[in-house]
Amino acid sequence: MRTDTRERRLDLVAFMGALCLFFSTLEYLFPKPVPFFRLGLANIPVLLALELFSPGYVLLLVALKVVGQGLVNGTLASYVFLFSAAGSIASALVMLAVHRAGRRWISLVGVSLFGSLASNVVQISLSVTFIFGSTAWVIAPAFLGIGVASGLVVGVFAKRFAERSRWFARMKEAIGGA
Amino acid sequence: MARRRRPRPPNRLALHASARDVFVCGIVSIVAFLFQSSIVVRAAQVLVFAMLATYAGKRIRWGYFVMIVSSITLFNLLTPLGRVMLEVGPVTITSGALEQGVFKGLAIAGLVFISLFAVRPDLKLPGSFGGLVARVFYYFEIVLESRQRIRATALVSSIDDALLEIYPGFDGDAAPAGRAAPAGGAGPAPRLVTTTDAIGAIMLGTVAAANTVLAIVF
Repeated sequence: MRTDTRERRLDLVAFMGALCLFFSTLEYLFPKPVPFFRLGLANIPVLLALELFSPGYVLLLVALKVVGQGLVNGTLASYVFLFSAAGSIASALVMLAVHRAGRRWISLVGVSLFGSLASNVVQISLSVTFIFGSTAWVIAPAFLGIGVASGLVVGVFAKRFAERSRWFARMKEAIGGA
Repeated sequence: MARRRRPRPPNRLALHASARDVFVCGIVSIVAFLFQSSIVVRAAQVLVFAMLATYAGKRIRWGYFVMIVSSITLFNLLTPLGRVMLEVGPVTITSGALEQGVFKGLAIAGLVFISLFAVRPDLKLPGSFGGLVARVFYYFEIVLESRQRIRATALVSSIDDALLEIYPGFDGDAAPAGRAAPAGGAGPAPRLVTTTDAIGAIMLGTVAAANTVLAIVF
């Protein structure tokens, strides 16, 4: 019985990993206002996973998302993968902490905002340290501004989906929720 | 608002070489590339890696890479290093900073190009995590099949309807109702070869050996 529940959760994590890849491909359909800009649509399933799984499964989903994107985009052996992994892991840890600590007061919009900022701070730090040099801190405010905007968009969508989706309600019921 | 993507060109490298062998060649190339100290040789290597990536069916966005290399060089120029080449108002262009910036920019572009030709979705990762990644790709193909049903005007409800059909829940057993997910090892792209033929071996061997020799000589 316990094995069944674990297998169900693993299967759903794999399915949500596929949704991350799907949202990631959807992102390419939208024109980018600036070259480095990313909406972060692939984070929507991760935000939903916070309501479904325990932290271990959420981190597993993030690992699947990062590796899957690396394989699909062919960036697994490049700095892009390291940046993506570092940003995604930092974002997931912050989102898990905020979601656990402030579940009563902070909605998925707020959680997404914190996650997006964490990801941006880590990626800016890495690019300053390894690529551009310390002078690149001048562009940090602009990137953080973009992070706030994209975090809000993703958070609003995830919150609306979590409230209205019959599928999400069914999954929550099937595996018991976080 | 949304633009339609052009179909991706075929991966011709995948017709001759297995995902694992191409990946190993990529790893050897990365190590040799990073040990390269000549800026001219590094620039030539970047071009060769870009050609290989194109051969592997990847579309290179040249504008993006020119901008990456330019911006890395620009930020490096802000910290003067070495002989002064030019002074334009408050900006001083030094040879050391310029060389370092271009060198770093080429490294970044080269690593991305290597990754683009060396990594493909049917690369099987070992262990239970590798099995889960295979399961992700199995579901990804199913999700992609139903993308036409998603409407921008009713985004939440159309996605919800699609999800209810693709992954309706559990019928007592562990697998979702209606579908039986593979336990692992299921790779997409069945037309890709799983063993490397003679042409593939010659190509990959040449790439790996040439980069290694260049790293030793220069």
